[in-house]
Amino acid sequence: MTVAKPIISMRGVSKFFGQMAALNNVSLDVYPGEKVVIIGPSGSGKSTLLRSINRLESVDYGSIFVDGYDVRAENAKINAIREELGMVFQSFNLFPHMTVLRNLTLAPVKLRKTPKAEADAQAMKLLSKVDIRDKAHMYPAMLSGGQQQRVAIARALAMNPKIMLFDEPTSALDPETTGEVLDVMVTLAKEGMTMVVVTHEMGFAREVADRMVFMDQGEILEEGTPGHFFTSPQHPRLKKFMQQIL
Amino acid sequence: MDNAAMPDPENVPVRIEVTDGASIPDPKDPRIITAWSISLFGAILTLVLLCFCIPDRYVPIVKKLPEGIWITFQVTVFSIIFTIPLGCMVGLGRLSRFRPLNLLVSTYVEVIRGIPLLVQLFYIYYGMSKLLNVPAKVAAVVSLTFCYGAYMGEVFRAGISAIPKGQTEAARSLGFNRVQTMWYIILPQAWRTILPPVGNECIALLKDTSLISILAVPDLLRVAREHASTSFHYFETYTVVAIFFLIITLILSKCVSIMELRLSHYDRR
Ligand SMILES: Nc1ncnc2c1ncn2[C@@H]1O[C@H](COP(=O)(O)OP(=O)(O)OP(=O)(O)O)[C@@H](O)[C@H]1O
Ligand SMILES: [Mg+2]
Repeated sequence: MTVAKPIISMRGVSKFFGQMAALNNVSLDVYPGEKVVIIGPSGSGKSTLLRSINRLESVDYGSIFVDGYDVRAENAKINAIREELGMVFQSFNLFPHMTVLRNLTLAPVKLRKTPKAEADAQAMKLLSKVDIRDKAHMYPAMLSGGQQQRVAIARALAMNPKIMLFDEPTSALDPETTGEVLDVMVTLAKEGMTMVVVTHEMGFAREVADRMVFMDQGEILEEGTPGHFFTSPQHPRLKKFMQQIL
Repeated sequence: MDNAAMPDPENVPVRIEVTDGASIPDPKDPRIITAWSISLFGAILTLVLLCFCIPDRYVPIVKKLPEGIWITFQVTVFSIIFTIPLGCMVGLGRLSRFRPLNLLVSTYVEVIRGIPLLVQLFYIYYGMSKLLNVPAKVAAVVSLTFCYGAYMGEVFRAGISAIPKGQTEAARSLGFNRVQTMWYIILPQAWRTILPPVGNECIALLKDTSLISILAVPDLLRVAREHASTSFHYFETYTVVAIFFLIITLILSKCVSIMELRLSHYDRR
């Protein structure tokens, strides 16, 4: 895996909100097929890091390349780059005025000019995959949180992204429905999807992560395998964090 | 590192406070006797009774006024047709990050809101008829559109900014550009939120068309004035005018209310 070129490459990235550095000289490489789990206390810059990859947040310093494209370039084809990056949010963000099916087909039909019948068929396949096929014609408000989040994952997958970004996908869910969303994510990981996941679900991290990243105050303080994180964390703040969370 | 479950912002219905115009009946109110039904049937009943009891005074009025209603109707409909897209553009302009456009539109809103409609009507009417020699009806539609475009713009702006930021982020992360996001994701949702205030502005506009009778437009009020000045039945004539306006306004507000209900299908059951 390490011989391949990284599909995401961040170098010396900094982002300021006023005086405060939300990202402070962050460098991170993600390789094709790799699963990276980012952890860290609230306000440590995890979301900002994730959102800077698809330029939902524009950064002030450093370079970010995704699949060879310079995300920060003035003339970057940002919409084309975003099509390669699926994103799942903590608050689902489904389009409430559209049925589940249309949530999935809108982007392929409008952006890729996929014929509607084909897009529908593909969407139904994805909905089966996240085990929610029977809700295709309902509106998001009629679904539970866990169901909505599975739809959101399917919606992101409908564009056939090369990379999936997850920002605390289960934090708004109750413990029972958290499991069903994590199951979908584990399946996706096993299929070889490149994933960058911000989460506090340590069970998921242990099972799926190739590499874990610990952030605090806008910096990456430690990187390593789950084994390393769970058994021999080095940085005092990571030690403390792991104690609190486990 | 507290991650208390956040309430889903999508499920909190947004409502914009209604300030003027007419009150829109609650579409989900199942009761038969409401302020709306009392007003409507009261108005119709009064009209029928008056025509029945004092036919020689009221019947000629009721026969005469419809020609004015037709003009009022035309002016209202055309003004609404032009006002809604204008309001949408004004709202978008007010939210634009392109400073010159934003300033231009904001100034327009500021200026329009600072001048009474009646003054605008005179100003545009005489301005236009002097320069372009347009018919009074057209000048009336232009003035009303200009004025209400500014108010409608504020409604659109409020409606668009009330849509949670997550919607834009989700759309952008799928690869939609700004315009596509606005068109497919934001405006359809905003439309639902702003429908009551938009309907409200339309009703206010309908009522304000009575101002055009000051110009040489033979609308409902103008026709009534002419009738009154020849028949000397001032009180009777204006009673009928009031009842007519009331009935039209009530019907319109019901239409808005029905549309609102039809657009609410994606809310939680
Ligand atoms: N739009 C913004 N304006 C100002 N400050 C911001 C903005 N977004 C984030 N911040 C600040 O940047 C820092 C990093 O925020 P970020 O959301 O990336 O943290 P996080 O690690 O994702 O936290 P959480 O676990 O709470 O989601 C925080 O201190 C936050 O207050
Ligand atoms: Mg976050």
